[in-house]
Amino acid sequence: MRILPPLYDTLRFLLLDLQKQLQLLSDALENQEPGLLDKSLSRVDYIDNAHLTLLERAGRQYGRRLNEHSDAQQRIVIQSYEHIAHSLKALSGQLQQMAHQLKNIDSLKLIRKKHIFSALQDLNKGLSLITAAIESDSLTLAIDICRLQLRIDKACSAQLDKYKKRLRQGEHSDALLLACFILKDIDLMGDALLRVGEGIMSANLGQFIQIDRFRALEESLSVLDGIRQQDLNIHSMGETKSGCTISGVSASSESEDRIMAIFKQGKKAKLQEEKSRIEKWHQKYPGIAPEVYAYQKQGDKAALLYEYLTGQTFNKLLLAKQSKPLQKGLKTLFRTLNNIWEQTRIDEVHPANFMKQLQKRLPQVYEVHPDFQLKGLKIGHVKQVSLETLVEEAQKFEKRLQAPNAVYIHGDFNTDNILYDPLEDQISFIDLHRSEYLDYVQDLSVLMISFYRIANFDPAVRKRIVQAMEASYAFGTEYAAKIDDHDFELRLALGLARSLISSTRFVLDKEHAKSMHFKGRLLIEQLLQLPGNHLHDYKIPKELFHD
Amino acid sequence: MAKKTNLFEHESLQDKDAIVQYLKALTDGIEKGEVELSDDDEKVTLKPTPFGRFKLKATCSKKAQELRIKISWVGHEDDGDSGQPLHIQPPSK
Repeated sequence: MRILPPLYDTLRFLLLDLQKQLQLLSDALENQEPGLLDKSLSRVDYIDNAHLTLLERAGRQYGRRLNEHSDAQQRIVIQSYEHIAHSLKALSGQLQQMAHQLKNIDSLKLIRKKHIFSALQDLNKGLSLITAAIESDSLTLAIDICRLQLRIDKACSAQLDKYKKRLRQGEHSDALLLACFILKDIDLMGDALLRVGEGIMSANLGQFIQIDRFRALEESLSVLDGIRQQDLNIHSMGETKSGCTISGVSASSESEDRIMAIFKQGKKAKLQEEKSRIEKWHQKYPGIAPEVYAYQKQGDKAALLYEYLTGQTFNKLLLAKQSKPLQKGLKTLFRTLNNIWEQTRIDEVHPANFMKQLQKRLPQVYEVHPDFQLKGLKIGHVKQVSLETLVEEAQKFEKRLQAPNAVYIHGDFNTDNILYDPLEDQISFIDLHRSEYLDYVQDLSVLMISFYRIANFDPAVRKRIVQAMEASYAFGTEYAAKIDDHDFELRLALGLARSLISSTRFVLDKEHAKSMHFKGRLLIEQLLQLPGNHLHDYKIPKELFHD
Repeated sequence: MAKKTNLFEHESLQDKDAIVQYLKALTDGIEKGEVELSDDDEKVTLKPTPFGRFKLKATCSKKAQELRIKISWVGHEDDGDSGQPLHIQPPSK
């Protein structure tokens, strides 16, 4: 990791004192010399001072500006120094506690155990590796430091089992309890050591990582044959709205930085869901979803390694200079959708319940845009009800509509989750954790609004957005006619209203968000004002596709 | 969209018919001498006086057309002494 002399020098002082603190405590135990415990405790002040100095110097380092790019990297390195110093200080605190407890214990005999000495030795070894690990560019030593925590943890558990056995016999229970507390202290010192290792690794990788996740990545990558972990580049590609982190994995040996796989980590429930849905897609419509290479879980976390799909998202296609690729992409997309819907249709009806979906998301919308939460309006004798009331009435309206047989849908069908590969003329889907059997209008309406919600107001882009929405609408109308779906237009209006209003929570441009909100509301009002015998004359006003 | 007392604001997307209805509601109110505007939180009642200032502003560009109508009435709250006639006739004996 990068050496920042003002921080590194202080850190080394801190480390030296901490090593002394540990050594004196170990000696006290080994030689049964309680007097050394006070000497051990006397190091604490030095460590506190060094820690404060480091924090103060780190603060000054943040203030130094380089350029945009190196600023971000610099920040991670400084944070890593702070993280390491903080963990070392925590370790010192545990040592201090342990020294106090050792002073209170009647006989050191209970503590002078093989497992405890071994844990303290590992701790010492870990501390002695830190400077070398910091100065090295490779991750090996940092990983070694992290691994020591496992050994310390094991030693502590083994000793704890022995104490427990003796506690059950009912002798020396006070002393044994105290000994158990001391074990806990040693265990926490192991954790602190682990954090130090993580700090060094984070600085080297350029992103903050947790070792559990890194282990998962290491294991997952072992399936990519013939590639050793140090030959891989892992770079962060951002975070999803559901809180997963995504990294691209590429081989350093490849001349171009070709990404081979996507590594996604996050909550187990989310990723397990995604994995099982990807597998379902492989059964239902092979070739549309990425291949899963590996899946690891640990506790409530999980990691998923899957194929990196080539192609461009429709978001990119829309913003591109030329319209040709977008046109070709849409054509292939509609052909693919038509095939998927034909092939996955089942004999059941699963209505989308657009208004229920919207009702559920309104609080999140108001959180981002509090001024959208309007009460009922009255101007003279003309009244307008609140959005909540409107949505409730629209739920009743929606219940009367007939949905066609369900098809297997993407579930989060926005422009970022659909890839088009112009060379292969092929469509792929990503982010499939919400796939299910539902009304096809769900995917279609989400797609149309994901075009609209793009916050780019270049007239050329806006024109392409209108075209893409009109094309999607035309495709939907055609498909509806083919399957005799008479209520298509009405359900689409509800779906569009739902997406227009609910996705304002991702739109921070106030005017754009307002325009979406107003349009969504207008669609619902229009539907509710329709005379019962003219429901099927309704046509969604195309003007709404325009900005 | 009321923000503080005596301020009423509203904005929405409406079709032509609805806009005409809102305008009618306003003109009816002016004729009657009372325009009531409210959402559930705030209520503003205007009492148009016989004379008001009427201002129109229209703009038309490629992208948008806009018509601003501003009608203002001077407050007519009873403000005590100054409401007394300046010339006081001596009481007749």
